[in-house]
Amino acid sequence: MKLTRIRIEQFRQFRQPLQIGELNPGLNLFTGPNEAGKSTVVAAIRAAFFERHRSGSVDDLRPWGDASASPTVELEFETGGVVYRLGKSFLVRKRCTLTSGTQQFDGADAEDRLAELLGFRHAGRGASAAEHWGIPGLLWIQQGTAHDIREPVAHATDHLRTALNASLGEVASSGGDAVTDQVEALRNELLTPANATPRGSYKEAIETEADLAAEIAALDADIAAYRNKVDRLATLRREHEADDAQKPWLALRAQEQAARRKFDEAQALGARLGEAKQRARRIGDTLVLLHSQLERYGLEQREVEQRRTALIAAEGRLTEVQATVQPWQRRSTEAATRHDGARHTLNRARQRDTRLTLSRQLDELSRRRDAARTSLLQAETEAGRLRSARQQMAATELRSADLATLRAQQQDIRALRLRQEAAATRLHFTLDDGRVIRIGEESLTGDGERLLTDATAVTLPGLGRLDITPGGADLADLGRQEAALLDRHAALLARLGVESLDAAEARLHLCFQHQSDAQTAEAALKARAPQGVDALRGELAMLEGRLTEAAQSLARLAGEPDDDLALPSINEAESQEEAARASAADAAKQLAAADIAAANAQSAVDAARRELCGAQAILDAPERAARLAAAQRALNEALAGQVAANADIEALTAQCRDARPDILEQDIRRFGGSADQLERASSLRRDELTRLEVELQTAGAQGLDERRAERARDHARAVRRTTELRRRASALDHLLTLLKSHRSALTRRLQAPLQKHLDRYLQLLFPYANLDIDDQLVPGAMTRTGTTGAESGRFEEFSFGAREQMGVISRLAYADLLREAGRPTLIILDDALVHSDDERLARMKRVLFDAATRHQILLFSCHPESWRDMGVAARSLEALKAA
Amino acid sequence: MLKLLHTADWQIGKLYGQFEPDDAALLAEARFAAVERLAQLASVQGVHMVLVAGDVFDAQGVAERTIHRLFNCLCGYAGPWVMIPGNHDAALSESVWTRAARLGAIPPNVSVCLAPGAVQFDALRVAVLAAPLTQRITHSDLTSAFAAIDTPAGFHRIGLAHGSVQGILADGIDSSNPIAAGRAAEARLDYLALGDWHGCRQIDARTWYSGTPETDRFRANDSGRALIVELASPGAEPVVTPVVTGQYRWFDESATLQVASDIDVLLARLATFGHADVVQITLDGETDLAGHARLRDALAQTQGRVRSLTVDLSALRIAPTEDDIDALAADGYLGDVIAELRALQGDSDGDRAGTAEAARDALVLLAGLLRDRRAASGNTS
Repeated sequence: MKLTRIRIEQFRQFRQPLQIGELNPGLNLFTGPNEAGKSTVVAAIRAAFFERHRSGSVDDLRPWGDASASPTVELEFETGGVVYRLGKSFLVRKRCTLTSGTQQFDGADAEDRLAELLGFRHAGRGASAAEHWGIPGLLWIQQGTAHDIREPVAHATDHLRTALNASLGEVASSGGDAVTDQVEALRNELLTPANATPRGSYKEAIETEADLAAEIAALDADIAAYRNKVDRLATLRREHEADDAQKPWLALRAQEQAARRKFDEAQALGARLGEAKQRARRIGDTLVLLHSQLERYGLEQREVEQRRTALIAAEGRLTEVQATVQPWQRRSTEAATRHDGARHTLNRARQRDTRLTLSRQLDELSRRRDAARTSLLQAETEAGRLRSARQQMAATELRSADLATLRAQQQDIRALRLRQEAAATRLHFTLDDGRVIRIGEESLTGDGERLLTDATAVTLPGLGRLDITPGGADLADLGRQEAALLDRHAALLARLGVESLDAAEARLHLCFQHQSDAQTAEAALKARAPQGVDALRGELAMLEGRLTEAAQSLARLAGEPDDDLALPSINEAESQEEAARASAADAAKQLAAADIAAANAQSAVDAARRELCGAQAILDAPERAARLAAAQRALNEALAGQVAANADIEALTAQCRDARPDILEQDIRRFGGSADQLERASSLRRDELTRLEVELQTAGAQGLDERRAERARDHARAVRRTTELRRRASALDHLLTLLKSHRSALTRRLQAPLQKHLDRYLQLLFPYANLDIDDQLVPGAMTRTGTTGAESGRFEEFSFGAREQMGVISRLAYADLLREAGRPTLIILDDALVHSDDERLARMKRVLFDAATRHQILLFSCHPESWRDMGVAARSLEALKAA
Repeated sequence: MLKLLHTADWQIGKLYGQFEPDDAALLAEARFAAVERLAQLASVQGVHMVLVAGDVFDAQGVAERTIHRLFNCLCGYAGPWVMIPGNHDAALSESVWTRAARLGAIPPNVSVCLAPGAVQFDALRVAVLAAPLTQRITHSDLTSAFAAIDTPAGFHRIGLAHGSVQGILADGIDSSNPIAAGRAAEARLDYLALGDWHGCRQIDARTWYSGTPETDRFRANDSGRALIVELASPGAEPVVTPVVTGQYRWFDESATLQVASDIDVLLARLATFGHADVVQITLDGETDLAGHARLRDALAQTQGRVRSLTVDLSALRIAPTEDDIDALAADGYLGDVIAELRALQGDSDGDRAGTAEAARDALVLLAGLLRDRRAASGNTS
């Protein structure tokens, strides 16, 4: 393959068209400093081949900031004797055409042709990536990637094998890969590529089979349940018929009845025992009654004797008491007489004292009455004086506030006058003698002065008139204020009833004098009559009343007895009377006590006698003896009855104990319960029968067995299908494994020719060295003879520079292999081998020159001086741009 | 003279899961058709009575519709039908028979004997001694009671039972529900009509299995029959005539392929099968790819012709010849793959059996793919 012309436009830094023509069939050297556009040219070639013209992921191709650009690459090349012309535009104007000879291809068709021709493929979506680049990805070495050989080879392997089929002759298979692909596709319909698990129809078949199996299992369970119910139904029917025939509960009912009868008998015994006990209890009660009755009769007898003894004692006590009454009567009479005498003496002493007291009161009252009369007279005089002073004070009263108002008004009037005068027009005149003028109505002569406060006409006889209007603005106002003030002043004076301010001042003074007089008189009055004159008057009247009364009381007392002087003092009389009275009272009290004791003793005697009579009467009652005898008889009978009843009780108790009614009751429960149980069981069984019959009818209607048979049929079919698919999947998997292993065996057979080409270059680089090619068709271990003897190492362990060099020669070997197979080869080295030292670089130049004799090589470098000895002229990109 | 039609083992409701659904449906349908033909036969032959010796239904739980259909199939014969339940449709406390009775599906001329005993047909002077199965499996001989059952003098004594006659049929085939050999003589029966064995078979002069009227399995010999039984008088020996009633013939074939002409023989045999045949073929031996292709085509054709064809090729090895490989144009490593597959399919024992089967299948697949590719490229070129 030979590139003959490159044209780039609107592509990254090449906004303007760049054309590179007349490319050598061998080595082409392009130089230029960094950023000159070397890599852009490489990128343009790569884009022209690798990227779909319709791709939306190639924004990086357009010049920076030029959204309207359509990056365009045109290439001319020749391979296999055919000239191709490729034009490709991206982004805004998407276009691709490929002309080969007379044929033209457009769009994706053209791109597919290119991919087939060179051995690569396009990305399904997005930008083209390393795994798509195939053979060109291997031969077109990008900046700094020459050392990496394994990945590009892996991506190219398929294409290499396809491309190399021809050269390998019979070892390759004409349709092997297609068949392998087909087998893989068929296999992947049934199994997942990654871990060979079922998918698609195979998976569906397995699921269908499982679903049906599950359904069958469910139906089997239903059928088993159904069959169990059928068996249960048979059992139930059998039991039911047996029940109907035997009716086992009837025997139990009979046993229950028998037990109940026995129980009833036992119950009757119990009743009789109860009656016997009742009877014994009644007899016991009667005995108690009889005993108490007989006891009562004994008590009555004893009572009579007790009463008699009590009467004798009471009569003795009466005699004793009556003996004490006589002496107390005598002593009482004596004490009363003495008391009367003492009382009389006391009365007379008291009258004497009363008289003396009244006389002293009369004297005192007379003295106080006279004093009261004198005070009253003086007080009345003072009161008259006070009244007169107050009347005068009222007549001259004047409020000091009014007086102050008057004074203030007077002051204001004077002030207003002064302001008027100050503001008035001062008219000073000096008239010649005899001359008269008139100001207003006033005629003036000589000289003088007038103050004009109003518009005034000055009449100059013979001359005319001067109308003078005073200029002060507030003159008229002042005049009005004055007039108003004067009016108020006059009104106040009139109200106060004075002529002038002076008169008002004089009247106020007078008033103060009267006030002083009144105060003096008031003080004097207060001294005479602190409670007032009327109080004095009342006191006088009271005193006179009391005087009269005292005189009357004295008069009422009888004339003075003669023996007043012989009388004891009142206190003495009183204590004598007290002693006499106490003595008399004591004697009377003793006498009364003696009387009462006697009366009590008498009544006790009477009561005792009555009680004795009563008790005796009971004893003497005629029917008492008969009743006593009857009671005695009844007692004997009752005792006999009690013995009989106790014997009955004992006998009945023993019978009851033997009958065991509690156990009989349990028997009734047991037999009855058993019968109930059996009847209920029978009834339940009948219900269950009915229910089972209904259930079975319902279930039977579902045709379970037939449905199961249907499912089983479907399941068998599903199993057949699964088996078929499993066999098919297994066969396909097996086949694919075989095909792949044979194909990779074939790959390994490509190693030999590749090794041959590699050795040619290797000898130029490292004489006497061996470089193995591994399974993946990439360089493996290298053995070379150095100064220290033979040494060996893996490709990955070499220095970066050595790996780069061997990466390049490996690619050249591949190119040779492809060329032998008649495939297009183009080698691009973008700034490769920069890590090689001078000696190695010199060797690599020999290698490259040798390769260039068979392949077109585009070599881009920023070190033109390094490549001067390649026998071709370097083409400067700057020069090309300038062209 | 008394003329009877003896049949049994109708197995109504059987579904044939081993076949493709279409075929299975037709085979299930054929069982109803067989019953209709039996009714027709009874009418045409003018029999006095039809005896059905058990297993009328294949299962207790058949659909209601199936029950109605079966009894509707009987309408072609208006005379008496006497049926007993078999082991598939035993007279359990709840059974297909009680359901049929509840559904009102059983016509009045059909007597279903759900309890052991004699059913008398006075007009015909016939007493049918029935031994119905009332449990799914019995281990006692239900016909042992026949001898003790008295029937009016001058009446034919006809036994009707379902089970396996002891000591005559192979062990393991329905060996439960036993019936003693010589029961007919012992119980003074004029004829003992038996069911359970699907092939038609005479046991003694008076005892027969009628077999199923429509074949339902590959191993039932002489099935698809019914019996016309003629009795001149009570005590006379019966004259029994088998009549073919089956619609489908069942074939179980096998062949070993060794040489190329074996294929020709097999193909000729395949060509004989017709639309009423149900065929199962098992092949072993070895064939080349061309023979395999012929076989495949012939099997496909037969498949289209017969009612059902089931083929088992698991034991047949494919041995491609050089010619085969040339014909497939399997150059390069494809040829190597074919050779390896051919070798692999030889290991037919032990753990490698799976691999051998996979290898054979893979070989057939690969051959198919290559042939298709060749055909395609041949068309385009």
